[in-house]
Amino acid sequence: MTNIVEAKSLVKNYGGFKALDGVDLSIPTGAISGLIGPNGAGKTTTLKALIGLCDVEGDLNVAGRDPRESRHKLMEDVCFIADVGILPKWLKVSQVIDYVEAVHPKFERQRAEKFLSTTEIPANKRIKELSKGMVTQLHLALVMAIDVSLLVLDEPTLGLDIIYRKEFYDRLLNEFYDGNCTIIISTHQVEEIEALLSHLIFINKGKIALNAAMSDLADTYTEVVVDPDKLERANALNPIYTRELLGKKCYTFESVPRAQLEPLGECLTPSVADLFVAKMKESKHE
Amino acid sequence: MNKFQWVQFQALLKREVLEHKNLFIWAPVVLGLLIFVINFLILSSLTDNDYEQFLSFLARFFGSGDVQSIAPTFVFPTLPFLGILYICAILYLTNTLYQDRKELSILFWQSMPVSNFKTVLSKLVAIIVIAPIFYVAVIFALYLIGILWLIFSGLSYDIEVAGLGYMFLTATLSLPIVYLFAVTSALWLLPFIGWLILFSAFANRTPLLWAIGSLALILFLEGFLFGSDFLSNWIETRSDIDNFLIVDYGGVFDRLFSYDMVIGIVIGSILVSGAIYMRRFVD
Repeated sequence: MTNIVEAKSLVKNYGGFKALDGVDLSIPTGAISGLIGPNGAGKTTTLKALIGLCDVEGDLNVAGRDPRESRHKLMEDVCFIADVGILPKWLKVSQVIDYVEAVHPKFERQRAEKFLSTTEIPANKRIKELSKGMVTQLHLALVMAIDVSLLVLDEPTLGLDIIYRKEFYDRLLNEFYDGNCTIIISTHQVEEIEALLSHLIFINKGKIALNAAMSDLADTYTEVVVDPDKLERANALNPIYTRELLGKKCYTFESVPRAQLEPLGECLTPSVADLFVAKMKESKHE
Repeated sequence: MNKFQWVQFQALLKREVLEHKNLFIWAPVVLGLLIFVINFLILSSLTDNDYEQFLSFLARFFGSGDVQSIAPTFVFPTLPFLGILYICAILYLTNTLYQDRKELSILFWQSMPVSNFKTVLSKLVAIIVIAPIFYVAVIFALYLIGILWLIFSGLSYDIEVAGLGYMFLTATLSLPIVYLFAVTSALWLLPFIGWLILFSAFANRTPLLWAIGSLALILFLEGFLFGSDFLSNWIETRSDIDNFLIVDYGGVFDRLFSYDMVIGIVIGSILVSGAIYMRRFVD
Protein backbone atom coordinates (compact mmCIF):
# COMPACT_ATOMS: atom_id res chain seq x y z
CA MET A 1 0.00 0.00 0.00
CA THR A 2 1.44 3.40 -0.93
CA ASN A 3 1.47 6.31 1.47
CA ILE A 4 -0.38 9.49 0.58
CA VAL A 5 1.41 11.37 3.37
CA GLU A 6 5.11 11.03 4.10
CA ALA A 7 6.64 13.38 6.64
CA LYS A 8 10.07 13.17 8.18
CA SER A 9 11.52 15.27 11.00
CA LEU A 10 8.97 18.06 10.79
CA VAL A 11 9.90 20.94 13.04
CA LYS A 12 7.93 24.12 13.68
CA ASN A 13 8.80 26.78 16.21
CA TYR A 14 6.57 29.64 17.33
CA GLY A 15 9.04 31.90 19.08
CA GLY A 16 10.38 29.74 21.89
CA PHE A 17 7.55 27.21 21.66
CA LYS A 18 8.23 24.04 19.72
CA ALA A 19 4.90 23.14 18.13
CA LEU A 20 6.38 20.26 16.12
CA ASP A 21 9.47 18.56 17.43
CA GLY A 22 10.62 16.11 14.77
CA VAL A 23 7.31 14.66 13.59
CA ASP A 24 7.66 11.49 11.52
CA LEU A 25 4.42 10.47 9.92
CA SER A 26 3.24 8.17 7.20
CA ILE A 27 -0.39 7.65 6.26
CA PRO A 28 -1.39 4.94 3.81
CA THR A 29 -3.67 5.72 0.89
CA GLY A 30 -7.28 4.84 1.69
CA ALA A 31 -6.87 5.01 5.46
CA ILE A 32 -9.16 6.83 7.84
CA SER A 33 -6.71 8.14 10.40
CA GLY A 34 -7.52 9.81 13.68
CA LEU A 35 -5.00 12.39 14.84
CA ILE A 36 -5.51 12.64 18.53
CA GLY A 37 -3.69 14.68 21.12
CA PRO A 38 -4.24 17.06 24.03
CA ASN A 39 -4.53 20.83 23.56
CA GLY A 40 -1.32 22.33 22.23
CA ALA A 41 0.01 18.92 21.18
CA GLY A 42 0.60 20.03 17.58
CA LYS A 43 -2.48 18.59 15.84
CA THR A 44 -3.55 21.73 14.01
CA THR A 45 0.03 22.65 13.14
CA THR A 46 0.55 19.19 11.67
CA LEU A 47 -2.62 19.40 9.60
CA LYS A 48 -1.82 22.93 8.42
CA ALA A 49 1.65 21.76 7.41
CA LEU A 50 0.12 18.91 5.38
CA ILE A 51 -1.88 21.37 3.28
CA GLY A 52 0.77 24.05 2.96
CA LEU A 53 -0.74 26.58 5.34
CA CYS A 54 2.20 26.58 7.69
CA ASP A 55 5.90 26.72 7.00
CA VAL A 56 7.76 23.80 8.58
CA GLU A 57 11.25 22.40 8.39
CA GLY A 58 11.73 18.79 7.32
CA ASP A 59 10.74 16.51 4.47
CA LEU A 60 7.12 16.52 3.46
CA ASN A 61 5.24 14.88 0.64
CA VAL A 62 1.45 14.90 0.33
CA ALA A 63 -0.26 13.30 -2.66
CA GLY A 64 3.01 13.48 -4.57
CA ARG A 65 3.69 17.16 -3.89
CA ASP A 66 5.49 19.35 -1.42
CA PRO A 67 2.66 21.47 0.04
CA ARG A 68 5.04 24.35 0.77
CA GLU A 69 5.83 24.77 -2.90
CA SER A 70 2.53 24.17 -4.65
CA ARG A 71 -0.37 24.54 -2.23
CA HIS A 72 -2.82 25.63 -4.88
CA LYS A 73 -2.03 22.63 -7.07
CA LEU A 74 -2.24 20.31 -4.08
CA MET A 75 -5.67 21.67 -3.17
CA GLU A 76 -7.08 20.22 -6.39
CA ASP A 77 -6.63 16.82 -4.73
CA VAL A 78 -7.04 17.74 -1.08
CA CYS A 79 -9.95 19.23 0.83
CA PHE A 80 -9.87 20.75 4.27
CA ILE A 81 -12.50 21.47 6.90
CA ALA A 82 -11.44 23.27 10.04
CA ASP A 83 -13.57 23.86 13.09
CA VAL A 84 -16.87 25.55 12.26
CA GLY A 85 -16.87 29.15 11.22
CA ILE A 86 -14.20 29.37 8.53
CA LEU A 87 -16.69 29.87 5.72
CA PRO A 88 -16.85 33.61 4.95
CA LYS A 89 -19.77 34.95 6.95
CA TRP A 90 -20.75 37.64 4.46
CA LEU A 91 -21.36 35.20 1.59
CA LYS A 92 -24.77 33.71 0.82
CA VAL A 93 -25.07 29.94 0.56
CA SER A 94 -25.67 30.15 -3.20
CA GLN A 95 -22.69 32.50 -3.61
CA VAL A 96 -20.28 30.16 -1.84
CA ILE A 97 -21.45 27.34 -4.13
CA ASP A 98 -20.98 29.60 -7.18
CA TYR A 99 -17.48 30.49 -6.00
CA VAL A 100 -16.35 26.90 -5.41
CA GLU A 101 -17.87 25.84 -8.75
CA ALA A 102 -15.87 28.54 -10.53
CA VAL A 103 -12.51 27.97 -8.85
CA HIS A 104 -12.40 24.21 -8.28
CA PRO A 105 -12.02 22.03 -11.37
CA LYS A 106 -13.29 18.91 -9.57
CA PHE A 107 -16.42 20.40 -8.01
CA GLU A 108 -19.77 18.93 -9.05
CA ARG A 109 -22.53 21.40 -8.28
CA GLN A 110 -25.32 18.84 -8.59
CA ARG A 111 -23.80 16.68 -5.87
CA ALA A 112 -23.59 19.65 -3.50
CA GLU A 113 -27.15 20.70 -4.24
CA LYS A 114 -28.40 17.14 -3.80
CA PHE A 115 -26.73 17.00 -0.40
CA LEU A 116 -28.11 20.39 0.59
CA SER A 117 -31.62 19.39 -0.48
CA THR A 118 -31.59 16.88 2.39
CA THR A 119 -30.86 19.65 4.88
CA GLU A 120 -32.77 22.72 5.98
CA ILE A 121 -30.15 25.16 4.68
CA PRO A 122 -31.78 27.91 2.57
CA ALA A 123 -29.76 28.96 -0.51
CA ASN A 124 -30.51 32.67 -0.10
CA LYS A 125 -29.33 32.99 3.51
CA ARG A 126 -25.99 34.47 4.45
CA ILE A 127 -23.60 32.15 6.24
CA LYS A 128 -23.64 34.38 9.32
CA GLU A 129 -27.38 33.67 9.60
CA LEU A 130 -26.88 29.90 9.75
CA SER A 131 -26.43 27.86 12.91
CA LYS A 132 -23.05 26.27 13.61
CA GLY A 133 -24.43 22.89 12.62
CA MET A 134 -25.72 24.24 9.31
CA VAL A 135 -22.37 25.85 8.49
CA THR A 136 -20.66 22.51 9.04
CA GLN A 137 -23.28 20.76 6.89
CA LEU A 138 -22.72 23.33 4.15
CA HIS A 139 -18.97 22.87 4.28
CA LEU A 140 -19.42 19.11 4.18
CA ALA A 141 -21.74 19.51 1.16
CA LEU A 142 -19.03 21.47 -0.64
CA VAL A 143 -16.35 18.94 0.21
CA MET A 144 -18.50 15.94 -0.70
CA ALA A 145 -19.05 17.39 -4.16
CA ILE A 146 -15.31 17.40 -4.84
CA ASP A 147 -13.56 14.27 -6.01
CA VAL A 148 -10.41 14.41 -3.88
CA SER A 149 -7.79 11.93 -2.79
CA LEU A 150 -7.29 13.36 0.70
CA LEU A 151 -9.72 14.97 3.12
CA VAL A 152 -8.27 16.75 6.14
CA LEU A 153 -10.65 17.47 9.00
CA ASP A 154 -9.46 19.58 11.92
CA GLU A 155 -11.93 19.36 14.79
CA PRO A 156 -14.78 19.46 12.26
CA THR A 157 -17.55 19.00 14.81
CA LEU A 158 -16.24 21.32 17.51
CA GLY A 159 -19.11 23.12 19.24
CA LEU A 160 -21.85 21.04 17.61
CA ASP A 161 -24.54 19.13 19.46
CA ILE A 162 -24.51 15.35 19.40
CA ILE A 163 -27.15 15.07 16.64
CA TYR A 164 -25.11 17.16 14.19
CA ARG A 165 -21.91 15.37 15.22
CA LYS A 166 -23.37 11.95 14.62
CA GLU A 167 -24.94 12.99 11.32
CA PHE A 168 -21.65 14.52 10.18
CA TYR A 169 -19.69 11.33 10.65
CA ASP A 170 -22.48 9.09 9.33
CA ARG A 171 -22.70 11.06 6.08
CA LEU A 172 -18.94 11.29 5.80
CA LEU A 173 -18.62 7.53 5.99
CA ASN A 174 -21.68 6.54 4.00
CA GLU A 175 -21.79 9.20 1.30
CA PHE A 176 -18.20 10.41 0.92
CA TYR A 177 -15.79 7.64 1.78
CA ASP A 178 -15.39 5.18 -1.07
CA GLY A 179 -12.26 3.36 0.04
CA ASN A 180 -10.03 5.18 -2.44
CA CYS A 181 -9.69 8.50 -0.70
CA THR A 182 -7.86 9.07 2.55
CA ILE A 183 -9.31 10.90 5.54
CA ILE A 184 -7.39 12.43 8.43
CA ILE A 185 -9.50 13.59 11.37
CA SER A 186 -8.25 15.45 14.38
CA THR A 187 -10.63 15.60 17.30
CA HIS A 188 -10.94 15.57 21.05
CA GLN A 189 -14.06 13.44 20.91
CA VAL A 190 -12.20 10.17 20.55
CA GLU A 191 -15.14 7.88 21.34
CA GLU A 192 -17.23 9.30 18.50
CA ILE A 193 -14.78 8.47 15.76
CA GLU A 194 -13.26 5.31 17.18
CA ALA A 195 -15.51 3.07 15.10
CA LEU A 196 -14.64 4.92 11.87
CA LEU A 197 -10.90 4.70 12.11
CA SER A 198 -8.57 2.33 10.35
CA HIS A 199 -5.47 4.04 11.75
CA LEU A 200 -4.67 5.85 14.94
CA ILE A 201 -2.11 8.57 15.48
CA PHE A 202 -1.36 10.08 18.88
CA ILE A 203 0.60 13.27 19.10
CA ASN A 204 1.93 14.92 22.22
CA LYS A 205 4.30 17.83 22.73
CA GLY A 206 4.99 18.01 19.01
CA LYS A 207 6.00 14.36 18.71
CA ILE A 208 4.17 11.34 17.39
CA ALA A 209 3.48 9.07 20.35
CA LEU A 210 1.70 6.35 18.38
CA ASN A 211 1.01 5.58 14.73
CA ALA A 212 -0.64 2.23 14.21
CA ALA A 213 -3.39 0.42 12.36
CA MET A 214 -6.45 -0.15 14.51
CA SER A 215 -6.26 -3.82 13.62
CA ASP A 216 -2.80 -4.01 15.18
CA LEU A 217 -3.77 -2.43 18.48
CA ALA A 218 -5.24 -5.59 19.96
CA ASP A 219 -2.00 -7.45 19.25
CA THR A 220 0.19 -4.73 20.71
CA TYR A 221 -1.74 -3.36 23.66
CA THR A 222 -3.45 -5.28 26.39
CA GLU A 223 -5.26 -4.06 29.44
CA VAL A 224 -5.29 -6.43 32.39
CA VAL A 225 -7.54 -6.20 35.44
CA VAL A 226 -4.86 -7.64 37.70
CA ASP A 227 -5.77 -10.06 40.48
CA PRO A 228 -4.71 -8.51 43.81
CA ASP A 229 -2.23 -11.27 44.58
CA LYS A 230 -0.46 -10.88 41.22
CA LEU A 231 0.38 -7.20 41.35
CA GLU A 232 4.05 -7.81 41.89
CA ARG A 233 4.31 -10.07 38.83
CA ALA A 234 2.36 -7.53 36.77
CA ASN A 235 4.65 -4.68 37.83
CA ALA A 236 7.65 -6.72 36.77
CA LEU A 237 6.36 -6.70 33.17
CA ASN A 238 6.64 -2.87 33.02
CA PRO A 239 3.09 -1.68 32.40
CA ILE A 240 2.92 1.64 30.52
CA TYR A 241 -0.07 2.80 32.57
CA THR A 242 -1.94 1.83 35.69
CA ARG A 243 -5.35 2.93 36.90
CA GLU A 244 -8.04 1.95 39.39
CA LEU A 245 -11.16 0.22 38.06
CA LEU A 246 -13.93 -0.51 40.59
CA GLY A 247 -11.38 -1.00 43.34
CA LYS A 248 -9.11 -3.16 41.22
CA LYS A 249 -5.81 -2.31 39.59
CA CYS A 250 -5.93 -2.11 35.83
CA TYR A 251 -2.60 -2.24 33.97
CA THR A 252 -1.92 -1.45 30.31
CA PHE A 253 0.93 -3.32 28.62
CA GLU A 254 2.65 -2.69 25.34
CA SER A 255 4.10 -5.52 23.24
CA VAL A 256 3.78 -8.10 25.99
CA PRO A 257 2.41 -11.43 24.67
CA ARG A 258 -1.16 -12.12 25.79
CA ALA A 259 -0.21 -15.60 26.89
CA GLN A 260 2.10 -14.04 29.43
CA LEU A 261 -0.61 -11.69 30.70
CA GLU A 262 -3.60 -14.02 30.90
CA PRO A 263 -2.47 -15.67 34.17
CA LEU A 264 -2.42 -12.20 35.83
CA GLY A 265 -6.13 -11.49 35.49
CA GLU A 266 -8.82 -10.60 32.99
CA CYS A 267 -7.30 -9.40 29.69
CA LEU A 268 -9.03 -6.73 27.64
CA THR A 269 -8.28 -4.67 24.55
CA PRO A 270 -8.02 -1.06 25.73
CA SER A 271 -10.41 1.48 24.25
CA VAL A 272 -8.84 4.28 22.20
CA ALA A 273 -9.60 6.71 25.04
CA ASP A 274 -7.85 4.52 27.61
CA LEU A 275 -4.93 3.92 25.28
CA PHE A 276 -4.70 7.64 24.65
CA VAL A 277 -4.52 8.38 28.36
CA ALA A 278 -1.97 5.59 28.79
CA LYS A 279 0.29 6.91 26.02
CA MET A 280 -0.01 10.51 27.18
CA LYS A 281 0.92 9.54 30.75
CA GLU A 282 3.76 7.43 29.41
CA SER A 283 5.18 10.31 27.37
CA LYS A 284 4.81 12.58 30.40
CA HIS A 285 7.15 10.32 32.35
CA GLU A 286 9.71 10.14 29.55
CA MET B 1 -4.84 32.20 -19.56
CA ASN B 2 -7.14 29.34 -20.56
CA LYS B 3 -10.92 29.36 -20.20
CA PHE B 4 -10.97 27.77 -16.73
CA GLN B 5 -8.36 30.19 -15.39
CA TRP B 6 -10.35 33.09 -16.80
CA VAL B 7 -13.55 31.81 -15.12
CA GLN B 8 -11.57 31.37 -11.91
CA PHE B 9 -10.22 34.92 -12.09
CA GLN B 10 -13.69 36.31 -12.75
CA ALA B 11 -14.92 34.50 -9.64
CA LEU B 12 -12.13 36.11 -7.63
CA LEU B 13 -13.12 39.54 -8.91
CA LYS B 14 -16.78 38.86 -8.16
CA ARG B 15 -15.79 37.85 -4.64
CA GLU B 16 -14.06 41.21 -4.14
CA VAL B 17 -17.08 43.16 -5.34
CA LEU B 18 -19.47 41.14 -3.18
CA GLU B 19 -17.25 41.44 -0.12
CA HIS B 20 -16.67 45.17 -0.53
CA LYS B 21 -20.03 46.33 -1.89
CA ASN B 22 -19.98 49.30 0.47
CA LEU B 23 -16.70 50.61 -0.94
CA PHE B 24 -17.28 49.67 -4.57
CA ILE B 25 -20.96 50.51 -5.01
CA TRP B 26 -22.65 52.18 -2.05
CA ALA B 27 -19.97 54.82 -1.40
CA PRO B 28 -20.29 56.40 -4.91
CA VAL B 29 -24.09 55.96 -4.87
CA VAL B 30 -24.41 57.82 -1.56
CA LEU B 31 -22.06 60.57 -2.77
CA GLY B 32 -24.02 60.83 -6.03
CA LEU B 33 -27.30 61.19 -4.13
CA LEU B 34 -25.74 63.81 -1.88
CA ILE B 35 -24.49 65.83 -4.85
CA PHE B 36 -27.88 65.52 -6.55
CA VAL B 37 -29.74 66.75 -3.46
CA ILE B 38 -27.34 69.69 -2.96
CA ASN B 39 -27.71 70.74 -6.61
CA PHE B 40 -31.47 70.32 -6.41
CA LEU B 41 -31.63 72.56 -3.32
CA ILE B 42 -29.39 75.21 -4.90
CA LEU B 43 -31.37 75.32 -8.15
CA SER B 44 -34.68 75.25 -6.28
CA SER B 45 -33.63 78.35 -4.37
CA LEU B 46 -33.21 80.34 -7.62
CA THR B 47 -35.96 82.64 -8.82
CA ASP B 48 -37.76 81.69 -12.03
CA ASN B 49 -35.90 84.42 -13.89
CA ASP B 50 -32.46 83.36 -12.61
CA TYR B 51 -33.22 79.71 -13.34
CA GLU B 52 -34.25 80.52 -16.91
CA GLN B 53 -31.07 82.58 -17.41
CA PHE B 54 -29.00 79.75 -15.99
CA LEU B 55 -30.59 77.22 -18.37
CA SER B 56 -30.21 79.59 -21.32
CA PHE B 57 -26.54 80.05 -20.53
CA LEU B 58 -25.93 76.31 -20.40
CA ALA B 59 -27.88 75.71 -23.62
CA ARG B 60 -26.00 78.47 -25.48
CA PHE B 61 -22.60 77.49 -24.12
CA PHE B 62 -22.83 73.82 -24.94
CA GLY B 63 -24.93 74.30 -28.08
CA SER B 64 -22.28 76.43 -29.72
CA GLY B 65 -19.14 74.78 -28.36
CA ASP B 66 -17.00 71.96 -29.58
CA VAL B 67 -17.99 69.09 -27.31
CA GLN B 68 -14.64 67.32 -27.71
CA SER B 69 -12.67 70.30 -26.48
CA ILE B 70 -15.04 71.13 -23.60
CA ALA B 71 -15.25 67.52 -22.38
CA PRO B 72 -12.06 67.65 -20.25
CA THR B 73 -13.58 70.37 -18.08
CA PHE B 74 -16.07 67.78 -16.85
CA VAL B 75 -13.20 65.91 -15.18
CA PHE B 76 -13.11 68.53 -12.40
CA PRO B 77 -16.69 68.00 -11.08
CA THR B 78 -15.84 64.28 -10.70
CA LEU B 79 -12.94 64.94 -8.32
CA PRO B 80 -15.11 64.36 -5.20
CA PHE B 81 -15.84 60.87 -6.55
CA LEU B 82 -12.15 60.23 -7.12
CA GLY B 83 -11.41 61.52 -3.61
CA ILE B 84 -13.92 59.05 -2.16
CA LEU B 85 -12.47 56.33 -4.40
CA TYR B 86 -8.99 56.99 -2.93
CA ILE B 87 -10.32 56.88 0.64
CA CYS B 88 -12.18 53.64 -0.12
CA ALA B 89 -9.04 52.26 -1.79
CA ILE B 90 -6.99 52.92 1.34
CA LEU B 91 -9.59 51.15 3.51
CA TYR B 92 -9.84 48.31 1.00
CA LEU B 93 -6.10 47.78 0.63
CA THR B 94 -5.40 47.75 4.35
CA ASN B 95 -8.23 45.34 5.11
CA THR B 96 -8.37 43.06 2.13
CA LEU B 97 -5.73 40.55 3.23
CA TYR B 98 -6.13 41.29 6.95
CA GLN B 99 -9.86 40.74 7.34
CA ASP B 100 -9.94 37.10 6.26
CA ARG B 101 -6.99 36.32 8.55
CA LYS B 102 -8.88 37.98 11.40
CA GLU B 103 -12.08 36.03 10.68
CA LEU B 104 -10.14 32.80 9.94
CA SER B 105 -11.95 32.54 6.62
CA ILE B 106 -8.44 32.50 5.14
CA LEU B 107 -8.50 28.77 5.93
CA PHE B 108 -11.40 28.41 3.52
CA TRP B 109 -9.90 30.61 0.79
CA GLN B 110 -6.57 28.81 1.10
CA SER B 111 -8.29 25.43 0.91
CA MET B 112 -9.27 26.22 -2.68
CA PRO B 113 -6.90 25.61 -5.61
CA VAL B 114 -6.17 29.29 -6.13
CA SER B 115 -2.62 30.62 -5.95
CA ASN B 116 -1.73 33.53 -3.71
CA PHE B 117 -0.42 35.35 -6.76
CA LYS B 118 -3.84 35.14 -8.39
CA THR B 119 -5.62 36.12 -5.17
CA VAL B 120 -3.51 39.24 -4.64
CA LEU B 121 -3.62 40.11 -8.35
CA SER B 122 -7.43 39.91 -8.29
CA LYS B 123 -7.48 42.35 -5.39
CA LEU B 124 -5.32 44.83 -7.26
CA VAL B 125 -7.36 44.49 -10.45
CA ALA B 126 -10.55 44.91 -8.41
CA ILE B 127 -9.48 48.21 -6.89
CA ILE B 128 -7.51 49.61 -9.84
CA VAL B 129 -9.65 48.50 -12.79
CA ILE B 130 -13.09 47.39 -11.53
CA ALA B 131 -13.88 49.90 -8.76
CA PRO B 132 -13.53 52.96 -11.07
CA ILE B 133 -16.10 51.37 -13.43
CA PHE B 134 -18.73 51.54 -10.68
CA TYR B 135 -17.75 55.11 -9.81
CA VAL B 136 -17.93 56.20 -13.46
CA ALA B 137 -21.29 54.42 -13.85
CA VAL B 138 -22.68 56.39 -10.90
CA ILE B 139 -21.31 59.64 -12.35
CA PHE B 140 -22.97 58.76 -15.68
CA ALA B 141 -26.29 58.09 -13.92
CA LEU B 142 -25.96 61.40 -12.07
CA TYR B 143 -25.32 63.27 -15.33
CA LEU B 144 -28.21 61.51 -17.03
CA ILE B 145 -30.73 62.22 -14.27
CA GLY B 146 -29.47 65.79 -13.77
CA ILE B 147 -29.53 66.73 -17.43
CA LEU B 148 -32.88 65.05 -18.08
CA TRP B 149 -34.23 67.10 -15.21
CA LEU B 150 -32.74 70.29 -16.71
CA ILE B 151 -34.17 69.44 -20.14
CA PHE B 152 -37.66 68.74 -18.84
CA SER B 153 -37.68 71.88 -16.72
CA GLY B 154 -36.18 73.82 -19.69
CA LEU B 155 -39.12 72.79 -21.87
CA SER B 156 -41.39 75.03 -19.79
CA TYR B 157 -39.22 78.04 -20.72
CA ASP B 158 -38.48 79.38 -24.15
CA ILE B 159 -35.08 77.68 -24.38
CA GLU B 160 -33.35 75.70 -27.12
CA VAL B 161 -33.00 72.43 -25.19
CA ALA B 162 -30.77 70.88 -27.86
CA GLY B 163 -27.89 72.74 -26.20
CA LEU B 164 -28.60 70.85 -22.98
CA GLY B 165 -28.48 67.64 -25.03
CA TYR B 166 -24.99 68.64 -26.16
CA MET B 167 -24.14 69.26 -22.51
CA PHE B 168 -25.05 65.62 -21.74
CA LEU B 169 -22.97 64.47 -24.71
CA THR B 170 -20.00 66.56 -23.49
CA ALA B 171 -20.31 65.20 -19.96
CA THR B 172 -20.53 61.62 -21.26
CA LEU B 173 -17.47 62.10 -23.47
CA SER B 174 -15.48 63.11 -20.39
CA LEU B 175 -16.18 59.80 -18.64
CA PRO B 176 -13.55 57.68 -20.47
CA ILE B 177 -11.00 60.33 -19.45
CA VAL B 178 -12.22 60.16 -15.85
CA TYR B 179 -11.88 56.36 -15.92
CA LEU B 180 -8.42 56.48 -17.47
CA PHE B 181 -7.41 59.15 -14.95
CA ALA B 182 -8.49 56.86 -12.09
CA VAL B 183 -6.60 53.85 -13.50
CA THR B 184 -3.48 55.82 -14.45
CA SER B 185 -3.30 57.57 -11.10
CA ALA B 186 -3.63 54.19 -9.35
CA LEU B 187 -0.66 52.90 -11.36
CA TRP B 188 1.22 56.10 -10.50
CA LEU B 189 0.45 55.48 -6.83
CA LEU B 190 1.33 51.75 -7.02
CA PRO B 191 4.18 52.11 -4.47
CA PHE B 192 1.61 53.30 -1.89
CA ILE B 193 -0.80 50.56 -2.93
CA GLY B 194 1.97 47.98 -2.53
CA TRP B 195 2.94 49.39 0.87
CA LEU B 196 -0.63 49.19 2.20
CA ILE B 197 -1.35 45.68 0.89
CA LEU B 198 1.98 44.46 2.28
CA PHE B 199 0.93 45.46 5.78
CA SER B 200 -2.52 44.01 5.18
CA ALA B 201 -0.80 40.69 4.46
CA PHE B 202 1.03 40.38 7.76
CA ALA B 203 0.01 42.94 10.42
CA ASN B 204 -1.72 41.21 13.31
CA ARG B 205 -3.92 44.23 14.03
CA THR B 206 -4.68 47.73 12.68
CA PRO B 207 -2.69 47.38 9.43
CA LEU B 208 -3.33 51.03 8.51
CA LEU B 209 -1.65 52.23 11.68
CA TRP B 210 1.23 49.85 11.11
CA ALA B 211 1.64 51.07 7.54
CA ILE B 212 1.61 54.75 8.51
CA GLY B 213 3.67 54.23 11.68
CA SER B 214 6.34 52.19 9.88
CA LEU B 215 6.62 54.79 7.15
CA ALA B 216 6.90 57.58 9.71
CA LEU B 217 9.63 55.62 11.51
CA ILE B 218 11.58 55.06 8.28
CA LEU B 219 11.34 58.76 7.43
CA PHE B 220 12.48 59.68 10.93
CA LEU B 221 15.42 57.26 10.79
CA GLU B 222 16.41 58.54 7.35
CA GLY B 223 16.61 62.06 8.71
CA PHE B 224 18.12 61.08 12.07
CA LEU B 225 20.78 58.66 10.82
CA PHE B 226 21.66 60.06 7.41
CA GLY B 227 20.47 63.66 7.61
CA SER B 228 18.62 63.01 4.36
CA ASP B 229 15.10 63.85 3.25
CA PHE B 230 15.22 62.04 -0.09
CA LEU B 231 12.41 59.62 0.74
CA SER B 232 10.08 62.25 2.18
CA ASN B 233 10.64 64.43 -0.90
CA TRP B 234 9.98 61.46 -3.16
CA ILE B 235 6.73 60.66 -1.35
CA GLU B 236 5.66 64.30 -1.41
CA THR B 237 6.32 64.60 -5.14
CA ARG B 238 4.56 61.37 -5.97
CA SER B 239 1.49 62.12 -3.87
CA ASP B 240 1.12 65.68 -5.22
CA ILE B 241 -2.10 65.60 -7.27
CA ASP B 242 -0.60 68.05 -9.79
CA ASN B 243 1.76 65.26 -10.79
CA PHE B 244 -0.96 62.82 -11.70
CA LEU B 245 -4.04 64.89 -12.49
CA ILE B 246 -5.00 64.07 -16.07
CA VAL B 247 -7.70 65.87 -18.05
CA ASP B 248 -7.15 64.58 -21.59
CA TYR B 249 -6.05 61.51 -23.51
CA GLY B 250 -2.65 63.04 -24.21
CA GLY B 251 -2.07 63.34 -20.46
CA VAL B 252 -2.91 59.65 -20.00
CA PHE B 253 -0.40 58.69 -22.70
CA ASP B 254 2.33 60.96 -21.32
CA ARG B 255 1.85 59.67 -17.80
CA LEU B 256 1.68 55.99 -18.71
CA PHE B 257 4.81 56.01 -20.82
CA SER B 258 7.04 58.00 -18.51
CA TYR B 259 10.22 57.00 -16.73
CA ASP B 260 8.73 57.96 -13.34
CA MET B 261 5.76 55.69 -13.97
CA VAL B 262 8.01 52.70 -14.67
CA ILE B 263 10.02 53.35 -11.49
CA GLY B 264 6.79 53.50 -9.46
CA ILE B 265 5.46 50.29 -11.01
CA VAL B 266 8.73 48.47 -10.25
CA ILE B 267 8.72 49.60 -6.60
CA GLY B 268 5.01 48.81 -6.27
CA SER B 269 5.51 45.36 -7.80
CA ILE B 270 8.29 44.55 -5.32
CA LEU B 271 6.03 45.50 -2.40
CA VAL B 272 3.12 43.51 -3.88
CA SER B 273 5.46 40.50 -4.26
CA GLY B 274 6.20 40.87 -0.55
CA ALA B 275 2.46 40.73 0.16
CA ILE B 276 2.11 37.57 -1.96
CA TYR B 277 5.01 35.97 -0.08
CA MET B 278 3.57 36.91 3.33
CA ARG B 279 0.20 35.50 2.29
CA ARG B 280 1.71 32.04 1.76
CA PHE B 281 1.35 30.90 5.34
CA VAL B 282 -1.57 31.69 7.59
CA ASP B 283 0.35 31.72 10.86
